[in-house]
Amino acid sequence: MVQLLPRLRRFAAGLTGSVTDGDDLVQDTVERALKNLHQWEPGTRLDSWMFRIAKNRFLDIRRSQKRSGVVAVEVPEDAPAIVSDGARGAEAHMMLSGAAQALDGLPPEQREALLLVAVEGLSYRDAADILEIPMGTLTSRIARARGALALWAPEG
Amino acid sequence: MEMDPTRETLSAFIDGELPPKEMERIAALLAARPDLDAWVRQQESLRAGIKTAFSGLAAAPPPERLVRIAQTAPFSWRWRLRQAWQGTMLRTWIPAGATLALGLLIGIGLVPPGDIASKGGQVVAQGALASALNSKLASDAGSGPRIGITFRDRAGRYCRSFDADGQNGFACHGNKGWEIAMLAARPDTEAAGPYRMAGSEMPDVMRAAIAARIQGEPFDMKAEKSARDQGWQ
Repeated sequence: MVQLLPRLRRFAAGLTGSVTDGDDLVQDTVERALKNLHQWEPGTRLDSWMFRIAKNRFLDIRRSQKRSGVVAVEVPEDAPAIVSDGARGAEAHMMLSGAAQALDGLPPEQREALLLVAVEGLSYRDAADILEIPMGTLTSRIARARGALALWAPEG
Repeated sequence: MEMDPTRETLSAFIDGELPPKEMERIAALLAARPDLDAWVRQQESLRAGIKTAFSGLAAAPPPERLVRIAQTAPFSWRWRLRQAWQGTMLRTWIPAGATLALGLLIGIGLVPPGDIASKGGQVVAQGALASALNSKLASDAGSGPRIGITFRDRAGRYCRSFDADGQNGFACHGNKGWEIAMLAARPDTEAAGPYRMAGSEMPDVMRAAIAARIQGEPFDMKAEKSARDQGWQ
């Protein structure tokens, strides 16, 4: 489970739009997973199971506390790949803000679909499985997310 | 004149999710259509940009608080046991099996009657078995019941697996003493000869039962000794 933390954090930060909120979501997810460990079928993918828990927790939390305003995007201080070297680092830094802000503007169901495919690199089938939706629904959510992001995307 | 591909189709193309023939057809189409090609390129760089944006986070060490919680997952132990699992079938019959095994084994005399007794509705270890559970370490040789692994269950109780005269079992320390959680006959009693029960020699059914209860990892020698010296409290 420890090995899954980096990917869970990435997914959660993408969902919540903030590293701090994402980490809270990861903590909640891990606690829930431990409590419901008996529901996990050994032999099935643990990562898919945990992503599904994270997704459901995110929706629960979102429902219970309707957000107001824009959530600040944070760059973790301890993120070596982001701050490693001058120009590249700065570029990546901007991209986190840019991409995260753009994602934040998407409806959650489009955001989670795009995150699983574009960031986690999952197949449509695996992503649809985690989100508990048909493949066709996933395909159209991703396409709609792309349509919305195209308005934000820089040229090139 | 062919209809333009839908946004869904182009999007699935970017993710490589179209059937091979469709992938080829769209690639050929893009070569002839700069407008569509520009959209696809923009989206591809966007996809890469999003991935890059989050790569630093995935590369960073997770905060200590998260690692600490995740470490309590009994997975590493579970994973080692998984080879022995027979899937859901096995797990569904454990509870019934555990009860049955106890009755049957006592019934046919496999368990020395002096080693197990019913006390206040709880089946507890007595005699040689109880004293082995109290004082023996897994590394101790000698006659009598042998101790396998020691661990904490999810309720925080100390539990120890044992091998007594051809049965494996494990018991957890409660206020009535060592409460027998499971007994299982070892299928290869004759073949086994003198040995100290190790994880790999447990019956599958017992591995599964332990895996379902264990919290954290089995104790190492030091932790085992220290728990014993503190009287399993």
